[in-house]
Amino acid sequence: MSAPPDDQPKTRNWRDIPQEIAPRRMSSVGRRRLTLGAVRTLASIVAIGAITWGGYGIWRTFKNDPQRLAAVSDSRPVEEIELKTDGVLDQEWLAQTLDMVPTAGLMELDLYAMRSRLTASGQVRRAVLVREFPATLKVILEERSPVVRLKARLGGPDARTFMVAQDGTVFDGTGYETSLVRSMPWLGGVRLLREGDGFQPLEGMDRLTNLLSTARNGVPRRYATWRVVSLARMSSDGQILVQTTDVPEIIFGVREDFYSQIARMDLILAETKRRSAAPVRSIDLSVGAAQVPVALNQPTTNTPDISFSR
Amino acid sequence: MRSKSRFIGAVEIGTSKVAVLIGEMVRDGSVNLIGFGECQAHGVIKGLVTDFKSASDATHSALLIAEQNAGVKIDEVYLAQSGGHLEGFYNQASASVNAADNTVSQLDIDTVCRLAKAKALPEGRTVVHHIRRPFYVDGKMVGANPEHLHGQRLEVGYWTVHGSESVIANSIHVIRGFNVLVGDMILSSLAAGTMMTTPQDRQHGALVIDIGAGTTDFVLYRDGGPFMTGSVPVGGSHLTNDLTLGLRVTEGQAEKLKIRHGRAITMSRDKSEKVWLNGDFAIGDRQFPRRAIELITEARVQEIFEVVKKKLGAELAPELCAAGVFLTGGTAKLPAIADAATKVFGIPAVLGEMPPGMDDKLNRPQHATVLGLLHFGLQNRAGTGSGRQRSRGLLQKLFTSS
Repeated sequence: MSAPPDDQPKTRNWRDIPQEIAPRRMSSVGRRRLTLGAVRTLASIVAIGAITWGGYGIWRTFKNDPQRLAAVSDSRPVEEIELKTDGVLDQEWLAQTLDMVPTAGLMELDLYAMRSRLTASGQVRRAVLVREFPATLKVILEERSPVVRLKARLGGPDARTFMVAQDGTVFDGTGYETSLVRSMPWLGGVRLLREGDGFQPLEGMDRLTNLLSTARNGVPRRYATWRVVSLARMSSDGQILVQTTDVPEIIFGVREDFYSQIARMDLILAETKRRSAAPVRSIDLSVGAAQVPVALNQPTTNTPDISFSR
Repeated sequence: MRSKSRFIGAVEIGTSKVAVLIGEMVRDGSVNLIGFGECQAHGVIKGLVTDFKSASDATHSALLIAEQNAGVKIDEVYLAQSGGHLEGFYNQASASVNAADNTVSQLDIDTVCRLAKAKALPEGRTVVHHIRRPFYVDGKMVGANPEHLHGQRLEVGYWTVHGSESVIANSIHVIRGFNVLVGDMILSSLAAGTMMTTPQDRQHGALVIDIGAGTTDFVLYRDGGPFMTGSVPVGGSHLTNDLTLGLRVTEGQAEKLKIRHGRAITMSRDKSEKVWLNGDFAIGDRQFPRRAIELITEARVQEIFEVVKKKLGAELAPELCAAGVFLTGGTAKLPAIADAATKVFGIPAVLGEMPPGMDDKLNRPQHATVLGLLHFGLQNRAGTGSGRQRSRGLLQKLFTSS
């Protein structure tokens, strides 16, 4: 065998050539890269130092006074519940619905469960709950607006009044002024079906809402006399029946524009009042614009007494 | 994904141009070519840095262009090394197999390799590459790994390429001026050879000649690996210079004549056939005999090949170079150069071709070296593990490039 390896001369390799050069031998680009590298190094050292110091602080606190850490994680009890709503619900309703433990810490709150409680009422369409440190719970509500009211007997002897929103949601209705509630017509001809703690949304409410808003905006004085609206013939005949203080039955068809039907209704009511002393019993606006059957309260006949034609 | 990648810059500081190719090395070991920059070289003669500032400016411009092109910062550089200062020698060592049952162990392999590499160099010389040739056990060639084979004597030889320490330091410092570390240094010929030949070619035996502007590098492959390398300080710029002297024109005019009318083998028989310098009939446009241009370029090309042949000596035997001669580099675009090489070496010669699927911009013989740098460097890194580089990866990232 040849001589042992340790006795062999060591050959110089290009990797033994020192690569370090003085910054003045670098080009301007090289110097810029060097400066940026140094800044980055410094920033890294500062970041590592900050993380280490923070970690040491937590460790020391944990070692000496673990209660302080617990206090930080538990946070302070809720001192204020701030309510923001676009409707009528108030602080009292909110406190009652949330039913919070008075000493509950802000971080202890189960916001998902609280949100479910708020939206369960039906009157609240959307609820956003935000923790605002140190001790405020912010609640932002988006409420449904009722368009009609309905009365239903749910097992007991007494009938309860509910509100119905544009999307068909049926809810108790809390905080509305009595005058507003009284101005709304009653809804009839619908069946309430249970769904969980509430009811299934009612069908056809979007069209009814369209009719009501058109009437309220177009003929507010006539609308004020509307007492009952019925969806009984909505699915079968496509008709909405309206009972007013003056006319027992006005039939609107859902296939035609409500604005023109209401205009015809207004004209007919004005004409009949001008031409005849007999009160109107029925106006059928659903048969079209060409002919509108109008029945007057005359005991001798069942057929339409007057027909308004174009 | 990008944060897990390393961006390698392959840099070739040539006599006529500086080329930089950026490769994104991803975790699975594959490389994506993402940027390329090229710049006219200054301060480099025959592959040697003669004007540090000019060479730095040109190199840094090419690096910047490549970085802007790729949209990333280079982490480290693989640098091509070429030039007349490079020399090679072969050193062989043998060792008796230690084990009583004559089974070759890893210790025997390490010992014989260390012995074969441990040859002192003259003062001022430094090793660039140790290229290992196949192992022999009891005189029989066994290939790359003789471990667990039976025999009494283990032999191996290394082709050691060494260069001037000051010249190599200069080229390293040109790169360091950009504040990037040189991660590996690779011979231009090895880099180009890797791209031009297939493993089968290397197994059959092949000669790759990279004719650049200032130098001509060559590598002879045998038994699947590099057998011998060399560099001749003559290249395409010498053809230009010969035309300058022979036709009494400026260097720019000579370059133009070389590109337009130069040939490696004279084709024109008509002595009276003339070619225009510019062909635009402007004032100063002159005519030159085509045959004279062809004769001048032919003579120089033939001389380059003769020098290469002389350097290879008896090692270049047609039966051991069955795959033939592969020509690459900018001067390889000279018409009929493959025929000239065939004539001189007595072996079929072809123009080297890049592997299929290469981008059109890079699919040129003058870019074979930068492409090969990435390929060879990463192959080498995968082979050796490059633990040294990996261990200092974080610090290197923090302290070097921005």
